Amino acid sequence: MGEIMVKTTTKLEEEISAIFSSNSPWVTIVWDDPVNLMTYVTYVLMELFGYSREKAHELMMKVHTEGKALVSTGTREEMERDVSRLHEYGLWATLQRGDESL
Amino acid sequence: MSEDPGFHRHGENSYVAEFGESERDVLLNLIEQLIELLAERSDHAQDDPIAAMIGITSHDSPPDDEVLRRLLPNAYSDEVDASEFRRYTESTLRSKKQAHAMSMRMYLKSAVDGIVDLDHENANFWLGGINDIRLALGVRLKVESRTSEELELLSPDDPLRGVYGVYSWLGWIQESLLSALMDEIDS
Repeated sequence: MGEIMVKTTTKLEEEISAIFSSNSPWVTIVWDDPVNLMTYVTYVLMELFGYSREKAHELMMKVHTEGKALVSTGTREEMERDVSRLHEYGLWATLQRGDESL
Repeated sequence: MSEDPGFHRHGENSYVAEFGESERDVLLNLIEQLIELLAERSDHAQDDPIAAMIGITSHDSPPDDEVLRRLLPNAYSDEVDASEFRRYTESTLRSKKQAHAMSMRMYLKSAVDGIVDLDHENANFWLGGINDIRLALGVRLKVESRTSEELELLSPDDPLRGVYGVYSWLGWIQESLLSALMDEIDS
């Protein structure tokens, strides 16, 4: 049952952030880096963003196979904070406006 | 400590590894170099005490050194935005990275029988610190342009072969710590 609750919350959060996305048009991108271990990237995304292992793994695989992935969305200030925290842990991250091409 | 080398979870909030003397020496040496490298980039703006106090540095362009450039990367692809952001944040990022390395140094220097016992917070500092050392070694090894097969085939008299050995060993230590942390999350 705990698991179902977690999934529901995640989905709800995604819907809510989609509704507000026009007001928070900034995104954080993580770029592929040949040094960072796959497990490490997954763990950092779980620790910093509170993502489930499943979601963090999915994002890590996207970085690995496609070269980059959008890992968070929000205001410019929020994304600057996210990028700083990712840099602190050595992930290669940048922020940009959500409507710019990735 | 009869288990395999590397980190293991020992009960709640305890991640333990045993380092041999030579492993400890190698690691301490790398940590000192990392701390020194980050300090080299220290602020020229310290003449302005107020700027220094609120973390503003005179650095608004990326470091010339390739390793520092990887450790302190641009946050924006746009150069003007990147410079502005760097001016206000680089010094904080540098001190956080130094703090990670200093946590590693403190644990290794005070280790009894080479045993290091980390709590969750310091385990995260170690992960970050090990990763910074691997990023630095990775730049020297040119892992961007070389495959792992090419690196494994480096000739025994190539000085980079030893560097690659340390790089791989650190990856393995990091992986063992990650697996101990993930083990705690799963339980």
